[in-house]
Amino acid sequence: MLNGTPASDGIGIGRVMVIEENSLDYTPKTVTDTEAELQRFKNAVKIFCDNTAAQAELLKKSAGEKEAEILEGHIQMIKDPYLAGEIEKLISDGQCAEAALEHMCDMFITMFSSADDELTQQRASDVKDIKTGILSILLGVKEVKISAAPKGTVIVAKELTPSMTAGINNENIVGIVTETGGKTSHSAILARALEIPAVLSVNNAVSQLSAGEQVIVDGTEGSVISSPDETLIEKYTKKRNEYLRERRELENYRGKKTMSASGEEYELFCNIGTPEDALNAIDSNGEGVGLFRTEFLFMDRNSLPDEDEQFSAYKKAALILKGKPLIIRTLDIGGDKDLPYLGLKKEENPFMGFRAVRYCLKNRETFKTQIRAILRASAFGDIKIMFPLVTTVEEVREGKQLVEEVKKELSQNGIQFDENIKIGIMTETASAAVIADILAKECDFFSIGTNDLTGYTMACDRGNNDVSYLYSALQPSVLRLIRHIIECGNKNGIPVGMCGEAAANPMMIPLLISFGITEFSVSAPSVLKVRKIISTWTKEEADKTAEKVMSLSSEKEIYNYLKTVI
Amino acid sequence: MVSKLITLTNPQGFHMRPASVFTTAMGKYSCDVTINFNNNKYNGKSLLNIIAACIKCGSEIEIICDGTDEKEALDEAIQLIESGLGE
Repeated sequence: MLNGTPASDGIGIGRVMVIEENSLDYTPKTVTDTEAELQRFKNAVKIFCDNTAAQAELLKKSAGEKEAEILEGHIQMIKDPYLAGEIEKLISDGQCAEAALEHMCDMFITMFSSADDELTQQRASDVKDIKTGILSILLGVKEVKISAAPKGTVIVAKELTPSMTAGINNENIVGIVTETGGKTSHSAILARALEIPAVLSVNNAVSQLSAGEQVIVDGTEGSVISSPDETLIEKYTKKRNEYLRERRELENYRGKKTMSASGEEYELFCNIGTPEDALNAIDSNGEGVGLFRTEFLFMDRNSLPDEDEQFSAYKKAALILKGKPLIIRTLDIGGDKDLPYLGLKKEENPFMGFRAVRYCLKNRETFKTQIRAILRASAFGDIKIMFPLVTTVEEVREGKQLVEEVKKELSQNGIQFDENIKIGIMTETASAAVIADILAKECDFFSIGTNDLTGYTMACDRGNNDVSYLYSALQPSVLRLIRHIIECGNKNGIPVGMCGEAAANPMMIPLLISFGITEFSVSAPSVLKVRKIISTWTKEEADKTAEKVMSLSSEKEIYNYLKTVI
Repeated sequence: MVSKLITLTNPQGFHMRPASVFTTAMGKYSCDVTINFNNNKYNGKSLLNIIAACIKCGSEIEIICDGTDEKEALDEAIQLIESGLGE
């Protein structure tokens, strides 16, 4: 069995088609008839543009406009007057078309790859693709036609280039295995859009799998089984049918209201980590974003992101969501998430230490920069601000005070923002949970972060195998805190959501319904599942279940009881 | 030769799409179009050159047009950037 990154859910069983990279070697030569060579280059570019335009059309139908845009970009790039002009100059000086093309493309590939911004780096693969495409035409090398693959094909390749992916359709291709790429790579996004199971970053996939061989691709687990025996095929066929049945069934919940069986309505949001994730939230039918983690902006770099960079990220997410709610959590740094460039002291006990809102309130300029960026973005959508790791009422007051200061500055400068922006907190510490009655008077909303709340309440590190058995949101203590938070929110008329992993747990959902939660925020793939689970409970049944659960005295009893009712 | 300083305000900066909106428009003119950014000069009709320049939102750039239709070209360049380059 080969293992890799699970990049697109589902099971595919089929025969291997290895996409080999044809040799594009040539011997550079000096050209005397430069006119003819120029013409040869121009012809190749014309063929390339025609092919690419046709592929883009194909992709538009199979995967949508967004995917096709990448290919349309290739046409614009090769038509770039500078690139074309320089290549033609080199040819006029006597270089052959192949060498001239390669020289100029490599120059841009190097330039783009060394850029310090990810979007620009991605353009390097576009130029590489253009180079390969035109070289193939010049050298008369046939490109592999994936569109002509027989039904039941599993594609195995070193790397899928955008032009290769254009030929992929989910009628013939049942699985994708590559040696490179991660969950967010172009191949992964396309595979998910086409609902083709995919496992990426499988070491030596091309040499280990041979053409025509039968394989099972498990895109959920991230495994590839070569030449499986009858029993395995049977087992995976069953798994595959089950997966497909479940997915079809869940599709019935797309576009529906999130409603219990007795008619109470809930908000069902997604948790996201980048502005682009907002697209997944929309695709998976989320009704908004209940938690936008902003750490991505601060990680993997050498200095703090400035206001404009943050603003454009928040604005981007807001624009994608088109007016749907977007709860932005302010910087939650420290604990296990260190930023070397902040020069934070090494702590004995980082989870109890200088992190999240504690850090931000001590580093006001950093905090105000983020708040200013969020406020500016609030002119473009329904944005709310959320402070993480609150433990005292002063933290809420000080945070709100800073927001007011920034608002005043923005008004003075005539910059637009949402004057009535809602400010809420993560209730994720035992302290915040216990004083939820006090905090509710200062906040516009609560969001329960069950991961930290469980860890802090049980005083247990779930990564530590010796104590992780304590880590469960179904512990009677944690459940009592959750109930208390929700009740305090309800009493004060503010919405209460849950954005921790527990919000998607089928055992937790009836309890939350009974306690009076108003919003669930889950990972994008869980949206339809959670909507379905909510629809199976009436308030009355949920109340009965919760009443029983709250009368039990241990996590084990609660777990065992809930297992019998879900 | 005519030129003007301007600040890029579209959130993406000069990335693929905004840059291609710009270069497609500039391609119509016969004059040379140059972008001066951080004291480096980039061909304003070249998509690849502009992308390579990594010009982010909020950056100040100088647009220089030189040729018979330089005035029209500069006017359109400024108007495009002010209107957010199609974003």
